[in-house]
Amino acid sequence: MTRAALITLAILAVGFVAAPFLLGGYELNVLMVALLYVILAVGLNLATGYCGQFSFAQGAFYGIGGYTAGILSRDVGTGFWMNLPAGIVVTGLFGLALGLPALRLKGHFLAIVTIAVQTLVYLGLVQWNSLTGGQNGLAVPPIGETTLFGVRLFEVSSLRDLYWVALVMAAVFVFVAWRLVHSRLGREWVAVREDETLAGAVGLNTTFAKLTAFVASAAFAGGAGVLNAHAMQGVTPDDFQIWISCMVVAMMVVGGRGTFMGPILGAIALTILPELTGELARYKMLIFGVLLVVCVTVAPEGALGRIRKARENREQAASTPAPAKDPSEASA
Amino acid sequence: MDLFLQYLANGVVVGSSYVLVAVGLTLIFGILHVVNFAHGEFYMLGGYAGITASTAFGLPLPVSLAVVAAVSCLLGLGAEALLHRGLKNQDQTSSIIASFGLAVALQNAVMVTMGPQPELMHTELAYKAIELGPVFLPAPRALIPPAMLIIVGALFAALRWTWTGRSLRAMAQHETVARLCGVKVRRVAVITFMLGATLAGVAGFMMSAVYMVHPLVGNMIVLKAFIVVIIGGMGSPLGAAAAGLLLGVIESMTSAYLTNGLRDVVGFLLVIAVLLFRPQGLFGRSLERS
Repeated sequence: MTRAALITLAILAVGFVAAPFLLGGYELNVLMVALLYVILAVGLNLATGYCGQFSFAQGAFYGIGGYTAGILSRDVGTGFWMNLPAGIVVTGLFGLALGLPALRLKGHFLAIVTIAVQTLVYLGLVQWNSLTGGQNGLAVPPIGETTLFGVRLFEVSSLRDLYWVALVMAAVFVFVAWRLVHSRLGREWVAVREDETLAGAVGLNTTFAKLTAFVASAAFAGGAGVLNAHAMQGVTPDDFQIWISCMVVAMMVVGGRGTFMGPILGAIALTILPELTGELARYKMLIFGVLLVVCVTVAPEGALGRIRKARENREQAASTPAPAKDPSEASA
Repeated sequence: MDLFLQYLANGVVVGSSYVLVAVGLTLIFGILHVVNFAHGEFYMLGGYAGITASTAFGLPLPVSLAVVAAVSCLLGLGAEALLHRGLKNQDQTSSIIASFGLAVALQNAVMVTMGPQPELMHTELAYKAIELGPVFLPAPRALIPPAMLIIVGALFAALRWTWTGRSLRAMAQHETVARLCGVKVRRVAVITFMLGATLAGVAGFMMSAVYMVHPLVGNMIVLKAFIVVIIGGMGSPLGAAAAGLLLGVIESMTSAYLTNGLRDVVGFLLVIAVLLFRPQGLFGRSLERS
């Protein structure tokens, strides 16, 4: 990670830690939603940004995590701290199930199959009444008291407490993503993205790399889904439609896919900006749509991708001997 | 058996609207390699333009149809500028994201101007009906399959025998070679988008007398159109036509003989099966999927 990225991360961390002391309930709630989207976008970036596997199913995995929490709470009576690992594992397995057919497809064919999976999950949640409660969804208990071996550790009761849980979770997930990206596995993902044939030819197991990318990206969404279910104290299928997936993709793309900080900044910006429209709130989604078109047209590599490109160009210009300059250009 | 024929007829009616939407989508994809997520909004706006023209302004149906076509052509023109010309030299996933943005913008523009309540087109045709043996169809429904046949037939004839059609097919085969042979790429791109938008708009117009139109109606339509396009083979208009009718009939049969809840699910299951076992689609020829 570059120094600039570390500084940005530090500023963000300070801001998010200070927020509960400075802001009211509404603003805090928006920030908590932003943190959930940070987890979703960072997770998606593992598969799409680093491994090059486009996915429009992040919203479905978000929902699977939430419903795992809801079903476990209802049928087994487990609490948040049991549901969280369970949700992550179950969603990871679903990620594997999506990864298997996706191995045969590339580019927009892959994108379309993930769209089909996303819609299937949504329709499944609506139709499988006995398991998911259909269109009404499920009620999920709040996180409440946390005990370890009968000792009461702490209680999550207010929005402020929930915010802290979300912040810690987001920090953990971002850290895990950072470790993954800088591990051997992360480099294999990049190799597959850059040239799959070459990656296979030098002896990398590309199948394994792609599947792990899908599993990791789904598991992140599962974790966010469990927290969301307990925070909202319920899940309904309409919260996990394709538009959530598209939103997460948009956050990643606008921030810069394949950069570490891009999806984090994109998620925060695209959650907070629409809330700032104030009197224009009626036009919130209209403005969002227009912004998205403009962003993709002007900077398809995203904000941070553009900055990185500019830096690379500069470094390249500095390392190669400067060509004889046109006098008019030199004076400019 | 009598009911079976009725289900079949209902399936063909809905399938015909899928054909009109999907043929345009597959043309835009096959010729320009744009994955157009905003295609459902062409359908939705066609419905709204038709309702506004015929119900609000009281124009006769043929004039309303012309209004729908004109609005659709304008839409196609704008969409081409944004999704094709605006995204030159970018990878194809950019068009997915940009067209998603366009879809959200159009939906919400309609939501703000027309309101969220669903609307239905009222015509005097609704009181007439056609009976063919055991099959009973109200006139607005019965008109859709023949209209689809005429439109798609004319389109295929134009693609086959006119110079514009030839240049469209040339572009689909190889853009650079087509350009070298004197095909005006920009003109072809605009025509393709206009065609696609008009086909979807006319489908939305005709279906607005059958089902309610609301600002979010395009969401499901565009997904159905993608199902049809994949099953038919991406970039193959004939495949899209066949697969569209097939999907309509399968959905109708599923809701009749299995359960109505599975109606929308069955198509997505089909897509996954097709992509696993025959990724080029039922009617596609190209084997290259990357």
